Amino acid sequence: MKTFLAQYRALLWQAVQVEWANAERWLSPLLFSGTMILLFVFTFGTVEPKFIPQLYIAATFLTAFFSLQISFSRVLEPDMQDRVFDQLRTYPISPSAWFLSKYTIVIALGVLILAPTLFLSDLFLNVSGKSLLNGSLAIIALMALLSLGALGVLLSTMMLRSNAKQILYPLIYFPLTIPVLLSAVESSHAILVDGKDLSYLMSSWLGLLVIFGIMYFTLCLLLFGELVKPE
Amino acid sequence: MLEIKSLGFKYQYKTILSGLSFDAKPGEILHITGPNGSGKTTLMSILAGLRKESAGTIHYRLPDGTTALDRRSFVEYLPAEANALFGKMDAMSNLRLWLRLRGLDDSDNAIRPILKNWELDHPLIRENFSVESFSTGMKRRLALARLELSKTPCWLLDEPLYGLDAKGIDTFQTMLNGHLLSQGITIIVSHDIAPLERFRVRKLDLLHDGRAS
Repeated sequence: MKTFLAQYRALLWQAVQVEWANAERWLSPLLFSGTMILLFVFTFGTVEPKFIPQLYIAATFLTAFFSLQISFSRVLEPDMQDRVFDQLRTYPISPSAWFLSKYTIVIALGVLILAPTLFLSDLFLNVSGKSLLNGSLAIIALMALLSLGALGVLLSTMMLRSNAKQILYPLIYFPLTIPVLLSAVESSHAILVDGKDLSYLMSSWLGLLVIFGIMYFTLCLLLFGELVKPE
Repeated sequence: MLEIKSLGFKYQYKTILSGLSFDAKPGEILHITGPNGSGKTTLMSILAGLRKESAGTIHYRLPDGTTALDRRSFVEYLPAEANALFGKMDAMSNLRLWLRLRGLDDSDNAIRPILKNWELDHPLIRENFSVESFSTGMKRRLALARLELSKTPCWLLDEPLYGLDAKGIDTFQTMLNGHLLSQGITIIVSHDIAPLERFRVRKLDLLHDGRAS
């Protein structure tokens, strides 16, 4: 356990250092996000107040989905340089510690992208004067992020180990994210449009989101070990 | 001791290594030679745990005669044409990471004497100066410093002298001598044999058909 924690901390600190030194890596998805929202604002112009929540949900999740994909697909980029990834595989590292360190940095980067996206969408798209941001929406967004993050780490690692690098990610990532996105969008819709609360949603869309989160996290944690062991 | 029995490796139906049996004993250098494409680097990557052998066994025997469950705890690999360093991090941060992953002392007191040996201990080099700005030779010296700090009994060195100047080669020889005196095992692939002439070296010659002579 002591070794596990020490390895987790070492790998996480390394990831933080590399991300900090490469501001472009998290700034690009963030700028992409801002640009997308501005495009939505200009495209839709003035929207009837009753359609604002729908537009908010669509624009926010679409923007967040693509900007997170950009961020996640690059999470193992620093490890690809100078055969660092291979060297890590020659060390007696716990695959779980390795996965969790990458997962933590992915979630941190995801929050860094998701939070401004939610805020900017509300600021620019919602002209009603009453903020759409609330705790329930933040929880739904975080739950979606937890699922997508696990997939992001796994698929980035698969890309490193595969010859079909460019095609593999979109081919697997998009179908697997559909249930997560669908339940996140439906949950948000139920809260912002239908006025439901989280406890009500736990037995429907939010429950599905939680189940997919747990399932993806567990699967990715287990599969990651398979990806880093000898070929 | 590293024991290799009937080792075989196939890549896409092509036999790269076949029926290789040898051992590497404490305090000796095993020099793997052979023409290009004979599988030297493949063999090193298998021993390092990067590739899975198609046949045979690899055992790392501990001094008490038992077999190590995970030989990666006892083996440090230096690949050819790469140093496995994070370019955006400085020298100290790089070394600290690798030492922490092995659960070793990562204090300045542990690292700096080794960096000094490799002439990388200048404050403008060791900290706040990303490794990507290093020259080829400096990167190799830093990778060799990591090797020395790893304190592993078995070293797998694939072209370790790549990019080193005369002083670097001299430091490498001193480090290797210390490793052998402490009963360390060294398996080396190198086309530059002159620096190894001062050591007692056992040769393993790989042939084109994947066997050893």
